[in-house]
Amino acid sequence: MSNVVVLDNGGGLCKAGIGGDRDPSAVVPNCLGRPSSSKKWLVADQLQACEDLTSVSLRRPFDRGYLINPDLEKEIWDRIFRSLLRVDPTASSLLLVEPLFNLPSIQRSTDELVFEDFGFRSLYVADSPSLVHLYEASHRPDGLISRAQCSLVVDCGFSFTHAAPVLQNFTINYAVKRLDLGGKALTNYLKELVSYRSINVMDETFLIDDVKEKLCFVSLNVPRDLQIARRPGKDNLFRCTYVLPDGVEHMKGYVKDLDEAQRYLTLPDEAWFPSQGMKDGCAEVPEKPEDRKRIDLTKNEFNLTNERFLVPEMIFRPADLGMNQAGLAECIVRAVNSCHPHLHPVLYESIILTGGSTLFPRFAQRLEKELRPLVPDDYHVQITTQEDPILGVWRGGSLLASSPDFEAMCVTKSEYEELGSARCRRRFFH
Amino acid sequence: MESEVIEANILLPQHLSFKRVQMSEKYPKGQARGRHWKHLKQIIQAENYQTYPANEPNYVNIESPPSMYPSKKFCDITGFEAPYVDPRTNLRYANSEVFKRIRALPNEYVQRYLALRNAAIVLK
Repeated sequence: MSNVVVLDNGGGLCKAGIGGDRDPSAVVPNCLGRPSSSKKWLVADQLQACEDLTSVSLRRPFDRGYLINPDLEKEIWDRIFRSLLRVDPTASSLLLVEPLFNLPSIQRSTDELVFEDFGFRSLYVADSPSLVHLYEASHRPDGLISRAQCSLVVDCGFSFTHAAPVLQNFTINYAVKRLDLGGKALTNYLKELVSYRSINVMDETFLIDDVKEKLCFVSLNVPRDLQIARRPGKDNLFRCTYVLPDGVEHMKGYVKDLDEAQRYLTLPDEAWFPSQGMKDGCAEVPEKPEDRKRIDLTKNEFNLTNERFLVPEMIFRPADLGMNQAGLAECIVRAVNSCHPHLHPVLYESIILTGGSTLFPRFAQRLEKELRPLVPDDYHVQITTQEDPILGVWRGGSLLASSPDFEAMCVTKSEYEELGSARCRRRFFH
Repeated sequence: MESEVIEANILLPQHLSFKRVQMSEKYPKGQARGRHWKHLKQIIQAENYQTYPANEPNYVNIESPPSMYPSKKFCDITGFEAPYVDPRTNLRYANSEVFKRIRALPNEYVQRYLALRNAAIVLK
C-alpha cells in the first residue's frame, strides 16, 4: 500500500498533504517571490518564512485560475514534494484538484508534469465542488446534503467564483456558472483605492492581502453604511487605522486599535431610519480640529472607512467595477435554473460556501438576504458555511484518497504512456 | 564565417573550461530564449472554442451572464445616486444645484461627461 499525495493546487494557496490525514501538512502560497532586498527567488514556504515582504515581486504559474506556466509550477511542486512532504513521487499516487473546465492543452501539460517530470505512479484528477460535497456529506451523515445526495457548491476562491450543482458526487457541468471575481481582484481593487486615497501601495500585495483579511467585511445594508461612513469623528463606526511596517520595530503591518476596528459589529442588522440618523449627525458636537489631523504622515499609517465594505461588495455587484456580469446571487439562481426543476428546492436548501473569499464576516447572511427575493417563496434557502473554507476542498480529497477503491479510479503511468493524455482524461469525464 | 576572423582569435571559443554551466547548455540552440508560456487568453484563442458545439459547456460559455435587473443610476457630475435625467443633454443628475450647473455646461463638456459612461453620441 503506497501513500497518496493530495494536492489542491489553487491559484493563491497550494494545499498539499498525505491522503487520510485531517489537515494538509503544507499550505503555501503558489508563487515565487523576490524581496527587494535579495536577488534570489524564494519558493512557496521560503516566502512565508521571509521576514521582510515589502515590495516583493511575484511570479505566479496561474493566470485567471488556470495553470499556464508548468515550468514555474514544477519548481514549486519540487519544493513541496521533496522538502515539505518528503515523499518519493515514483512510489506514490497523486490526487490533483483542477479547476472546472480545464482547457485541453493545459490538461496535457499538467499530465506531462505529473508523469514525465515527477514520475508519479498514478494520477486522479478531481474538481473542487464534488470534493466539497463529499466532505460535507460524510461530515453530517444525517443532514439534507447526504440524504438528498445533492448540493450547490459556491466556491469563491482566489481567481474566480463558481456556482456548481453537485449530484451523486458528480458536478453537473452544464449548470456551472462562473463569475470572474475572486480574492485576487478584490485585493487589487483595495490596492487601487488605498493608493488613490492615501499611500501608494500598488506593489504591496501581501500587505494589502493582510489588510483585506483583517479589516474587510460584508455590509448588510450598503446605503445605510455609506451614510455612516461619511460621518466625522467617533460617530463613524467604520473608521479604523492600519499601521504599515516600518522595517525596524515591526516587520508586519498591524491594525492600530482592534476594538475600534470591531465597532461595526455593534450596528443593528436591520431597522434603521435615515431621518433619525440625520438628526444624530446634526446634534453631534463639532469635533476638535486636532482630531481631524490624527493621521500622522511620518508614522506611515492609513485610514479605512467605506473601503472596508465596498471591496467585498464587488462579489455581489460586479457592475460597480465595470464588469458585465451579474452578481453572486443571480449567478446562483442561473446555475440552479439550468438544472432539472425537481432539483431546485433541494439545491436552494443545500448551498455550501467554500473558498477563502467567503471568510469575510457576514458573507453568508448577505448572500441569503440577496438570494431570498430571487428565489420562489415556497422554497427554503439554507446556506451552509464550512468550518475551514480554505481547507474544505483538500479535506474532501483526503477522504476520497483514503477510500478503498481509490486506486482503481486512477490513471496509472503505464496507461498514460500507452494511451496518451487525451484518452486517459476521458476517465474523469473531461 | 570568414577564415581570417577565426584565425584572429577574437571570438570566444564555444567551450569555456572555467564555466560550471556552459552557455550552450543554458541556452540550447534553436530554442527561444524568452518566455515559452502563453497567457490564458492566448491559450483560449488557440483552443478554437467557436468551432465547438454550442450546447456543450466549456470555459467560454459558463460565464455568468449580465444582470437582468436594471443597474443603479449615478449622477454624472457628483457621483451621488441620480433620480433625474436632463432631457436636453441626457446627463443624469442628483439635485437642482447640479441641474443648474449642467445647464450651464458647454456642449463639448457634456459630450465628455457622456463619453465617461459610454453614452456619447458619435456622429460619423
